[in-house]
Amino acid sequence: MQGGDEPLVRVRGLRKEFDGTTALAGVDLDVARGELVVLLGLSGSGKSTLLRCLNGLHRPSDGEVTVAGTRVDRASSRELRRLRTEVGFVFQQFNLVGRLTCLENVLIGGLGRVRGPRYGVSTYSRRMRAEAMAHIDRVGLADQAFQRADTLSGGQQQRVALARTLMQRPQLVLADEPVASLDPENAGTVMDLLVRVCAEEGLTVLCTLHQVDLALGWADRLVGLRQGEKVLDRPTAGLTKDEAMAIYRRVEPAAAVAA
Amino acid sequence: MTAAPVAPAPDRTAGARPDGGPARPDGPGGPGRRRDPLRPPADPRQRVIRWLAGGSVLLALAASSAIGLDLPTLVAGGEDVANLLGRMVPPELSDPARIATLALDTVLMAFLGTVLATVLSVPLAFLAARTTTPHPAVAAVARGIITFCRAVPDLVFAVLFVRALGLGVLPGVLALALHSVGMLGKLFADAVEGAEPGPREAVRSVGVGRVRELLNGVVPQVVPAWVSAFVYRVDINLRTSVVLGFVGAGGIGFALQDALRGLVYTKAMGIVLVILVLVAGMELLSVAIRRTLLAPRNPRYGRDRAVRFLSAAAAAVLLVISFVRLGIDPVALVTSVPDLLAVAGRTFPPDLTTLGPALWEALLQTLAIGLSATGIGVVLSLPLGVLAARNVAPHPLVYGAARTVILVVRAIPELILAVVFVAAVGLGPVAGAVALGIGSIGFLGKLVADAVEEIPPGPAEAVRSVGGGWWKVVFSAVLPQGMPSIVGSGLYLLDVNIRTSTILGIVGAGGVGFLLFEAVRTLHFQVAGGIVLLVFVVVLLVERLSGWIRAQLS
Repeated sequence: MQGGDEPLVRVRGLRKEFDGTTALAGVDLDVARGELVVLLGLSGSGKSTLLRCLNGLHRPSDGEVTVAGTRVDRASSRELRRLRTEVGFVFQQFNLVGRLTCLENVLIGGLGRVRGPRYGVSTYSRRMRAEAMAHIDRVGLADQAFQRADTLSGGQQQRVALARTLMQRPQLVLADEPVASLDPENAGTVMDLLVRVCAEEGLTVLCTLHQVDLALGWADRLVGLRQGEKVLDRPTAGLTKDEAMAIYRRVEPAAAVAA
Repeated sequence: MTAAPVAPAPDRTAGARPDGGPARPDGPGGPGRRRDPLRPPADPRQRVIRWLAGGSVLLALAASSAIGLDLPTLVAGGEDVANLLGRMVPPELSDPARIATLALDTVLMAFLGTVLATVLSVPLAFLAARTTTPHPAVAAVARGIITFCRAVPDLVFAVLFVRALGLGVLPGVLALALHSVGMLGKLFADAVEGAEPGPREAVRSVGVGRVRELLNGVVPQVVPAWVSAFVYRVDINLRTSVVLGFVGAGGIGFALQDALRGLVYTKAMGIVLVILVLVAGMELLSVAIRRTLLAPRNPRYGRDRAVRFLSAAAAAVLLVISFVRLGIDPVALVTSVPDLLAVAGRTFPPDLTTLGPALWEALLQTLAIGLSATGIGVVLSLPLGVLAARNVAPHPLVYGAARTVILVVRAIPELILAVVFVAAVGLGPVAGAVALGIGSIGFLGKLVADAVEEIPPGPAEAVRSVGGGWWKVVFSAVLPQGMPSIVGSGLYLLDVNIRTSTILGIVGAGGVGFLLFEAVRTLHFQVAGGIVLLVFVVVLLVERLSGWIRAQLS
């Protein structure tokens, strides 16, 4: 871990409420440049909300969120848009536009860099098309570049989504359950690819996961959330699986006993 | 052979019940009273449905007698129509070049009107869709505009616009466009609301503003639905554009009206045949377009892209041809707006008093025409639709004949039928009601046939296996299963018929349309405004009412 002076992500006392329900109840978190942090926690523990607060898809109810020098909690919508161009987001459901080709889906990642509306591959410059093609090649789908995205398997679609993220040339990648919709084998492949590519590019990654095994294998640090509060924040080095699993177990002791 | 055991009296409305539900031990009569074990338990919903069914039959009969439509009149009318048809053969095309030009103009008007409607509908749809509107109040306003456009018939717009802009194709095109916004705007907005939110969120998270978020995250998802709605609307608009000429708004209707006014019936028949060919050709074309553009999901990019590119290019060329051929200056579309607004302004405040009781009488007559036409339509369409269902028709020939009748009727615009009936039986609501009723076959007959073809074959087999013949199959298996969707279609037909009956008066076939036409002709714009307002309210009420009834049934 080579932490810079200033953490890329700095969160202090982050609260987020939806119509009276508290999703995040005061979370502090620092992520250093180049670090790979995995967020663990049950569904509904606030992981996705935390990620979405980092790029302003959700507005924090209270607290300070600084990402790459931008105060997300009080950014104007113009500042937010600028920030988002530097923050890649990988979704659980891939969120590709199914009717469009893989290439065009990847090109969408570059939209933040160009002015004016684009629609259809031919409205993007040659340079951007070449770059998008290179990213598709990198995730191993060059042959499928001109295929409709919805004709691909789930694992392939997530790889296209990853290429879309790379097209953004982000500093930070937020991945929301990137492999939860995939079978174990594809999950391994996609996770492997995500971690390798981000390491090669020196990207900072904040990723939510359900699989403790995957998390222990890849993360520099694990952060556990439970009911909107941080209950664990430790480097993976020296962390045992049981200790990590405790995040889940402590939530509902009754269920643990029953199991 | 013993008589087939009769199935427990099939309740014609049984299919309309949500699920039959678990039989309740006691009726609402209370636990004290034992009910007859052989009678089905009383169900308040059933009772509502029965009352509605009985009420609508009575209402249709009352409406028919109110406008003087009875069996002797129908029989005599049939003779008149036969006489008229006799005078129409052999059909004659006197000036083929002129007719061909007018036919081409008609098609281009339909196309151009639909394109303009699309241009107006896209922003409206985004404003109206719950998921993309900037504010709920904006959505309500946008929905209101769309509803207004739908509730005012295209010919009513045409009549007003011809007054504002003079005779010619421009008012016709604008009228088509404005009325089409009512359908396209709604369908477009529904598609936008149905789009998945995920891709949109992905586009937003790459850091683009609202316009590009919608353009790249939503539009690609809804394009197929939009294209399909567009093609469907061109088809509908062609049917209207052939009659726009009746009010001086261009197209082949001019020539038809000329021929009818001059009592040159053979010539009129020739033009009607040309219209039939046009409409039928358009229907085939639209089926083909929808099939090539939307159905195949070719995983390979090349062919899909070529097809899309060619269709877009063809549409663009056609658009240019439309402007040139119709002699419409694109700038005029904008510069005519003040004139249109001026006429719209002169209809304010709407005047409901000058005409006195005549107005309300005409309005009631309009409703009566719509109701009795729907009655006629249901009576004719049910048997015809059942015969036109492949799985029930007793013989392939019967099936083919029934389908052909439906297709031919579908191809004839109602207003043309109305003109024919007016020529045969004279001016008045009877001509309108009969014309609308017969025209309904094309609409309801097809829906009934399609609904019957979709029912699962099991129950029919069961009835056959206990020895039931064709009639028993139809009454015990087919109709009970198909009834919910048939009733739904019937209500929709009522909707459509009442809307159409407001314009029948333009050709003298009764209803409030005649007063409207006269008011505009004599420049009594505020009276016209009052009539348009009433038409709007009536159409809206009928739409809501039939929506409510449909909700009761499903």
